[in-house]
Formats: sequence, C-alpha cells, structure tokens
Amino acid sequence: MTSKRQVAMVIDLNKCIGCQTCTIACKTQWTNREGMEGMWWNTVSTAPGEGTPKGWEKMGGGFRKGKAQPGKLPKQGEFGTAWNFNTDAALFQGDTHNTLGPITGDPDWGTNWDEDVGGGEYPNSFQFYIPRICNHCTKPACMEACPRGAIFKREEDGIVVINEDHCRGFRFCQEACPYKEIYYNTVTGVSQKCIMCAPRLEEGVPTACSRQCPGRVRFLGFLDDEDGPIHKLVYKYKVALALHPEYETEPNVFYIPPLAPPSFDEEGNPIDEDRIPLDYLESLFGKEVGPAVELLKAEKAKKKAGGESDLMDTLIARNWMDMFGPFTTNPKDVARTLEQRVQNRQG
Amino acid sequence: MRVQNVKSIADYAEPQSARWGALEATDVEMVPAPLGLQPNEYVQVSWEDRPYGLLEQASLRAVHDGAKIAVQLSWADAQPSTGAGEGFPDGAALAFPVRGEPELMLMGSPEAPMQFVQWQASKKEARSVLAKGIGSSLPGAPVGETANASWSGGRWTVVFTRSLAGSGESASLVPGGTSQIGVAVWNGSNEERAGIKAVSPDWTALSLDP
Repeated sequence: MTSKRQVAMVIDLNKCIGCQTCTIACKTQWTNREGMEGMWWNTVSTAPGEGTPKGWEKMGGGFRKGKAQPGKLPKQGEFGTAWNFNTDAALFQGDTHNTLGPITGDPDWGTNWDEDVGGGEYPNSFQFYIPRICNHCTKPACMEACPRGAIFKREEDGIVVINEDHCRGFRFCQEACPYKEIYYNTVTGVSQKCIMCAPRLEEGVPTACSRQCPGRVRFLGFLDDEDGPIHKLVYKYKVALALHPEYETEPNVFYIPPLAPPSFDEEGNPIDEDRIPLDYLESLFGKEVGPAVELLKAEKAKKKAGGESDLMDTLIARNWMDMFGPFTTNPKDVARTLEQRVQNRQG
Repeated sequence: MRVQNVKSIADYAEPQSARWGALEATDVEMVPAPLGLQPNEYVQVSWEDRPYGLLEQASLRAVHDGAKIAVQLSWADAQPSTGAGEGFPDGAALAFPVRGEPELMLMGSPEAPMQFVQWQASKKEARSVLAKGIGSSLPGAPVGETANASWSGGRWTVVFTRSLAGSGESASLVPGGTSQIGVAVWNGSNEERAGIKAVSPDWTALSLDP
C-alpha cells in the first residue's frame, strides 16, 4: 500500500554538537521498559567511524537494482549492551578517588563508542556527528522481508511500524534493514524500532528527538507540504540528502551535509581545499552532495556579506516552531491519558 | 501409521517412557522446505547459498485413548538450541488437514486449511496454529495442545498431545477413522525459523484404532 502522505525529517549536520539530548529524550520516552535496556532508537555517532551497530554499513541488506540483498543479523554486543554504573559509590559515598564508570563487565562497544576518533591527519583532521533514527523508508526492506506481514507503513503518514502481536521474532527485518535500525527484545521475543513518535505526531506534538534538541538541528513535517521547511530543503534547494541512497530503500530522513573550515598547508596557512574530503561525503550521501555543499557555501557567503538568503534563514531557524511543520503543539497541552485521547476524539 | 487405542495417554506423557519403545516407529522422510516457496525475495536470497533443513528423517509413534491423541516425534539434533537470549530455538510442528486436501508443502489454502501444533524449545506451552497458505499462519482454535520435550544422546524427543475432537476451524480425528499427519522441524542453531525448516514432503496416513 502506498501512503497518502509522508512524514519526513531533515537533520542539519552543521548544527549537531553531539550532546545526545535527542538520544536521552527518546530513551526516556520509548525504550525504558524491560528488554529494551540496550536499545537506542535514536543514536548520535561520530563520523568517520564504525557507528551503531559496529560496522553497520558493511552488514548488507537493502536493495541493489531493485533486488533484495542478504544482510547480517546484528547482535546486541554490536549495538553495545546496557551498562550499569557505580553511581552510588562514585557520587554519594564521599570518596573523591572513586570515579564514575561502568561496573558491568568490560564493555567493548556502545553507541558513539568511536567518539572523536574522526578522520584526516593533524592539522587537517575532521569529524562530525550523525544522528540516526529509523528512516521510515518509502520502500522499507524490513517490511518486504517479514514473512508474517507484521510490518506496515501507515497510510496517513508513511510511518513504518511493527505489529508486535504479529511479530514472531524471526528477525529477517533486522537483517534486511540496511541501516540496522531494528532491535530484538529478548524478553518479549519481538523486534522493536523507532516509531517516529507516532502517538505524539497524532496529537500535533513534534518527535521527542526534534523538540528536545538544543541545537535546532531537526526539521519535521510532511514531505509534500510546500509551505514547510522539509519540502524546501529536500526539493527546492536540494541540500537535504538521504544517507546511503545506494541502499535503494528511499529514506525519509534527510541530512544537510557538513561544511568544515578550510585545510591548512604545511606552514599552517588556510588553503582552498575542503577539510572534509568530497569523496568521503559522497560515500555517505551520493554524488548529489557536491552541488549541495557548493550551494550551502555560496548561500552562507552571501548571508555573511549582508545579503539575503532564504536557504540560510531556513537553516538558522530563528523561530523554533517554524521547524516542525504542522507539529507545533506543546506536549503539556495534550491529553495525558489514553482515555482522555479517546474521549477527545469522540467529541 | 497405526494409532493404537490405549487406556490413557497420560501413561505416554514422558518422551522417554518405555511404553513408547514398545510401539513400532514410522520413519518419515524429511527435506528442506523449497527455497522457491519461501514467502518473499529477501528470505530466498539470504538462504540461497546457505544449507538448511538438512534433517533427513524423523520418527513418529502415536496412541489415542478415545479422547486425546499423543504423538511422539523424534529426530537427530547434535546441538540443541533453547533459543535463550538472542539465539533461535529448536522447534517442531505436527500438521493435520482441517478439510479438503491441503497441500502440505503449500501449508494449505483458504479452501483446504491445515492446523498444526507447534513446539519451540524456548517456550513452555505448545501452540495451535491455523494455516491457509504460506505466510498466512494465525493462532488456531485451541485443541488442548501440549508438548513435552526431552533432548538426550543427540536426539530431541517430543510428545505432542491434543484432543481428538476439534473445535471451530480445526482438524478433527475420529476413533476408527483415518486422517493425515505432516512434520516440520526447525534447527535453531542453524538460525532456522519461519519457512526455513525441514518438512515431510507429503502427508503420512493415520489410521486410528476404534
């Protein structure tokens, strides 16, 4: 079934500071129940890096020339298992030598494990952050791989959800998703993933990751809303690009590619050479990233010189609420219980 | 396969009971469920170069007591998998035709459904499942299904029981009558699940003593 409309997100990588507020907003909202300890429906990883789960870009899945590709089943250890911390001993016993740290085993991976490793050689080293959620793809590999038909794309907004009553925990979806955005709950025996905060969107409230972001990084809205920022950034200016379009699932989360200061020559003078190599950005966002970066640079320069730039004004997002399309309701203003919500709908 | 009438199937609840040994076993040929019948392209491409369903033979014995049937299914599995944590569980299922002449390999059709009782090493309870074709299985009508499993000496032995009478859309068995039985086995340590399994290619005839 084709969805009538599609909710989409644009994430501006030039503004993300890797603070993980989105990650925690999501964690406390959705994955704080049993069996979800190691789940992060929202992650922010450092690029270049192995990401979450470790080495996900080499795990296969998705499509090539329209044909489904085999994928590897990611394991909990590759996402990083949940850690317990010595909070009490380190913070409440007055022992200043006892520093905060994990007390569960000897962890060797976790979300954003490769923080600040980055790429390039000093003084031309570089790094940036990539926040990731489920891409709510137009052609979801997970949905096509489920033998139970337990995954579907909502007609009204294109959000991809798993029906946990039909899921049998076969995990073909985990293998087939090329972004490895699906987790397996070993307690409930079902697969679980980002639901684009569907219950919030239904009440007109932005996703938790978008609304809690201190950096105004995430735009939200319907892809076909010509008055909203998403349409403008994706279609009009073509500066918002899908991550790994070669996976052919047609993601609905898009990224503004990162700009960086110029490179330095051996004497330490800035030279006209991009710090972040174009071929690296192309490996993430495809060939369209070159023109997108050039347009961003040109518009930035224009704005810096005192000129007008609708593109820069959109990305700056002076008015916070302009970022979220129709989803501008404050969560405190919506019904707090299911009963209230049902009552409201029935008038 | 003859299904002997016994005093009480409760005497046959234990998989390793000597009473089972006294009954003649029927060997059933097993084959991999065909790749071409897997429900979608992803499952097909991800298993086209991976061996599965390598079990060549399973062994069946059955008794009834006028109210319930007990079937002992036994097969070789060198490495048992309980499906703990992230593992996939070993499993087995016994299929019975609900009506018409369902194709076992196609898991029946809307006109000719089949019902099966499924056991998984990860779960305490057996499940009743109704299938009307590949990828269509839904919870089936309850038939008092149970499964009691034991792994020993490189073999799983599972005793399935269910009532002879079916309720709603389920297979009914009648003393003195005939029916059919089909077998599926999943090898969890080989990540076998869903349609990736060993199956009996055709039904085995059941003949219930009066």
